[in-house]
Amino acid sequence: MSENVTPTVTVLTRKARQGSDRPSLFRLLLRDRVAAVAAAILCLVVLAAIFGPILLGDLAQRQDLATRNLPPLSFAHGWEYVLGSDSLGRSLFARIVAATGTTLGVAVSAVVVSALVGSIWGMWAGFHRGWRETVSMRIADVIMSFPSLLLAVVILYVFNPSAANIVLVLAITRIPIYLRTARADAAELRSRMFVDAARNFGTKQGTIVFRHIVPNVLPTLVTLATLELCYVMLAESSLSFLGIGIQPPDVSWGLMVAQGRQYLADAWWQSVLPGVAIVVTTVSANVLAAWLRLATDPGQRWRLQQKKRRRRLIATAGARG
Amino acid sequence: MWTYLRKRILQSALPLVAVVLGVFVLARLTGDPSKLYLPLNATEQMRADFAERNGLDRPIWEQMGDYFLGVLRLDFGESLRTGENAASMVLRAFPATLQLAGVTMLLAIVIAVVIGSWAALKPNGIADRIVSFFSMVAAAVPDFWFAILGIWIFAITLGWLPTSGVDGGAAVWVLPIATLMLRPVGVLAQIVRGSMVTVMGQPYVKVARSRGAGELRVVTHHALRNAAAPALTVAGDLTVSMVNGAVIVETIFGWPGIGKLMIDSILQRDFAVLQAAVLITALAIFALNIIIDLGYALLDPRVRPASGSRRSSRPGAHAEAGTGAERRNENGTEKKAAAHV
Amino acid sequence: MTISSPRRTTARIAAGVASVAALGMLASCSVANSESAGGGSSSDDTLRVVLQQEPPTLEACDANLTSTGVVDRSTITEPLIERNPTSGELEPLLSTEWEQTGDTEWTFTMREGVTFQDGTPFDAEAAAHSIDRAVNGDLGCDVEGYIFGETDLGVEAVDATTLVVTTPEPDPILPLKLSFIEIVSPETSADEMVREPIGTGPYAIDEWQAGTSITLARNDDYWGDAPAFANVEYQWRSEGSVRAAMVTSGEADIALGLSPEDGIGDLGVSYPNNETIALRFSGQTAPLDDIRVRQAINYAIDREGIVSSLYPDGDVVAAQLVPEGIVGHNPDLEPWPYEPDEATALIEEAKADGVPVDTKIIMPVRTAQFPKVSELGEVLREQLSQVGLDVELRMVDTTQHLQYQTAPFVTDEGPIAMLIQHGNQAGDAQFSVEQYMLTGAAQAEFGDPELDALIEEAAKTTGDERQAAYEEVFAFERENVVALAPIAHQTAMLGLSDRVSYEPNSSTGDELRIKEVSPAE
Repeated sequence: MSENVTPTVTVLTRKARQGSDRPSLFRLLLRDRVAAVAAAILCLVVLAAIFGPILLGDLAQRQDLATRNLPPLSFAHGWEYVLGSDSLGRSLFARIVAATGTTLGVAVSAVVVSALVGSIWGMWAGFHRGWRETVSMRIADVIMSFPSLLLAVVILYVFNPSAANIVLVLAITRIPIYLRTARADAAELRSRMFVDAARNFGTKQGTIVFRHIVPNVLPTLVTLATLELCYVMLAESSLSFLGIGIQPPDVSWGLMVAQGRQYLADAWWQSVLPGVAIVVTTVSANVLAAWLRLATDPGQRWRLQQKKRRRRLIATAGARG
Repeated sequence: MWTYLRKRILQSALPLVAVVLGVFVLARLTGDPSKLYLPLNATEQMRADFAERNGLDRPIWEQMGDYFLGVLRLDFGESLRTGENAASMVLRAFPATLQLAGVTMLLAIVIAVVIGSWAALKPNGIADRIVSFFSMVAAAVPDFWFAILGIWIFAITLGWLPTSGVDGGAAVWVLPIATLMLRPVGVLAQIVRGSMVTVMGQPYVKVARSRGAGELRVVTHHALRNAAAPALTVAGDLTVSMVNGAVIVETIFGWPGIGKLMIDSILQRDFAVLQAAVLITALAIFALNIIIDLGYALLDPRVRPASGSRRSSRPGAHAEAGTGAERRNENGTEKKAAAHV
Repeated sequence: MTISSPRRTTARIAAGVASVAALGMLASCSVANSESAGGGSSSDDTLRVVLQQEPPTLEACDANLTSTGVVDRSTITEPLIERNPTSGELEPLLSTEWEQTGDTEWTFTMREGVTFQDGTPFDAEAAAHSIDRAVNGDLGCDVEGYIFGETDLGVEAVDATTLVVTTPEPDPILPLKLSFIEIVSPETSADEMVREPIGTGPYAIDEWQAGTSITLARNDDYWGDAPAFANVEYQWRSEGSVRAAMVTSGEADIALGLSPEDGIGDLGVSYPNNETIALRFSGQTAPLDDIRVRQAINYAIDREGIVSSLYPDGDVVAAQLVPEGIVGHNPDLEPWPYEPDEATALIEEAKADGVPVDTKIIMPVRTAQFPKVSELGEVLREQLSQVGLDVELRMVDTTQHLQYQTAPFVTDEGPIAMLIQHGNQAGDAQFSVEQYMLTGAAQAEFGDPELDALIEEAAKTTGDERQAAYEEVFAFERENVVALAPIAHQTAMLGLSDRVSYEPNSSTGDELRIKEVSPAE
């Protein structure tokens, strides 16, 4: 018997992968129009995040008390007022684009940090079981019951208020979500047949984790992370509402929504348009994540590979028995 | 079950202490409250008197020790701001939040179950697409924005509802609950839909149908029961975070709950009230977690702590990786936060 | 099949738990739907006021604190003497006449036929008790710190209607200072603060539902004219737009602290309050220790532009720390003109002399201190950087802001130019000047000995001489010290429903005198 016998499931999947009727991920994406639109929107957002501050940063800061509170499509004052202006006369379009970088930067960083820390920690705890698991779960309980507001106020006042510190606060408070999910999945997987088999064959612990546990936990965690992106963006705007989020002169969508709420009666665009940006981005991320989950899960992928009409038939057939 | 309960309660004691200690230390890191509570031109002597009166000039270990001794005597100190007993302030505010959170979650669960199941009847059909889209949007809208818009539209322009406050019968509950309910409904509807789609494709559902069970019975009796677990998990997590954070709704609508009390005491460095508020919230959260785990066990016999037997390794049972069916471990009911938390 | 029984049991248990929980919650509904079933919106005879925050306490000796005084002063409790905010004159209230009967002695005659809300008769002894309690005691009353500092007053009730008050130093404005002391029942404890005071005012406290509302009931034994409303109900909402909404939808009659953007429309009434906003410099830290830099900052601010765009509803550009109507306001003082070129030149000049003008200057601004405060902060920062200064805007909360605002100041963060809002409630410049300009004062970061001398002299004067003396103080400060960059005298906005009629004045925000509110014709 050779040392490294690959488990049955992996063998079957590999065979399936070599099939020529298996289209690439990109092709699959194009087939599903909704997911394709979502992906396109996200690309646009990412581009805005990267290039926005460079291209429109100055425009976003330029105050002009004479052009305050212009409604959208006020082209008489210049092309940059396509979305109107804010209470200090700055182009709303430029500000929304320039804010993309900060908003996305904060949200993505917070999600990445909490996902990495939480997942690795969770997988470690779930794999080892015993006291490590119990202690980790109790620490998760502590973090979850801790008032995140207090944490935010303390971190922002003891240390200087900055985007980095907000990321820190948001990341710390979301770690337990990944921790618990990863731990539960890892613990469950650990006891499954193929892991047992691998251990019996003497595979090192590290290999087991990387080869067997991580790939199976990953889809769930990725879905979780995308949903968390939405939550983190909203949390950031709530912090701004309470006055302890991103501070002027920095700008983020959340801050714009919070500041603009005072003008809802007279200048609704200042609060509504950044809010639309938040909604559009998070919905696109969710749609894409749902699609990705199906696409990367070997057991579910077949749903996407069928032609559309057949897909619906199969789905209906499945439901109807 | 009682051994499990006892074990969980004991296990929760240490984290509870850790939370209170953490808040204690962090609160004092936010700086000296004396300038807020003394007149602007207070002298050094007055500041020293203030610090002494409130025990703030002693080393933090002593302060902590005193506080814990006080807690054991059920003395939680006094509010710097109002002079009232901190515990009574907190106990007065807490039920208001509990009621709000409780009613909101109940409604959210019912609505999410109904529309999620409806969407799951025909996956990728029109109902499904509409429900999915709206639930995603609902989960992505900033709550304070929705609240203020709601007041503007329904209270001012249309005059159907009161703007805010707690006096005024059932109508005052509408806007706060609607605001608070947005995200839970959005998230839960997606989860219910996901698990229902999976469950409805299961063999036993086909069997029930072939035996002539009506659609409603299939949905409620067979499908929902098994799809309920992940939804319950997530609902539990959402309730927990609501207890901790209905701050915004309480602030805007003037709801005298614990969220508002907490943010006020943080901003005004009212240490005693903050500590008491955090203590009672943490207690509630721990209790809620235990109750959820127990409820989970009640719903699914496979997950009961007493039955230590392993789940059979039928391939079918494992195939539901994607949509977050529940997991179990040998330890009992450490639940997994489902895929769409 | 036997499978269904455990499931049915499970279902029953689950249903049972759920229904118990639901019942429990509905039963404890008493919190939200409070016992005052007829409370508030229904009764025609109740005046409903919505404030920005719940008063932390109604303790009368803290009544100079805006959030307490707005409910207490002249409504629940009354002082001996009341200042008329419009004319600036002192008017008799619980004291009918007074005169200075010695260098350091004043004699007050008490009004007869007045009783407290608990039935105790009002006399000189009661007045002495209240003054003693507030000023001389250990309670740490806010009015003590704000008005009297460390000085104690000697009080003696010569007979039932005569009170003699002695001061350590001659004090020509003692009656004005006494207008801040609210008189409470002699039964009030002198050892601890009392949350719900008993006074002589037209309304007594009926109920305080903490977190929800405060209700006052008409005092039928009030010595003065019977007030129009039978009850007053105070609520509070932190969002300006919600307060405005309550007035426009008929849920409240008066809303305080509004701004035009809150959507109050025609029901909004603007009025000048006593507040002035300014930048205050840390004059001991470079480069703000160089007067040219401070002058440059003054030249760099476009006050007219700020007022006309951000605060067009009545704010007035300020040339000094106190607005018109305050004793000592100098009407001849012109506001600093907007001359950015002059500012740049001054900074270049200072730079050439080796002053480190590139040092980052911190500008702390208090979040939500008044409407559009963060916008103002951003505008100021922008205007100052246009003339070559490196300014960092720092939005901070109240407690943080106070660290910068009052002694001991923050000294380890470099030069600081902070945005302050000063309200002169007393109507006399002495209070402002001795807070912000006297060396060593609680809110003065640096001073000038010549200015100090002028200030000390002015404090001893009265009448026209007093007016001239303080005018000179302001002129001197403007020319030679430049400790501040005054920006604007502010206006506030009230929401008034059609049901009531009321003329707001400069002290409305500090004390809302219900007796001046009447039903609309």
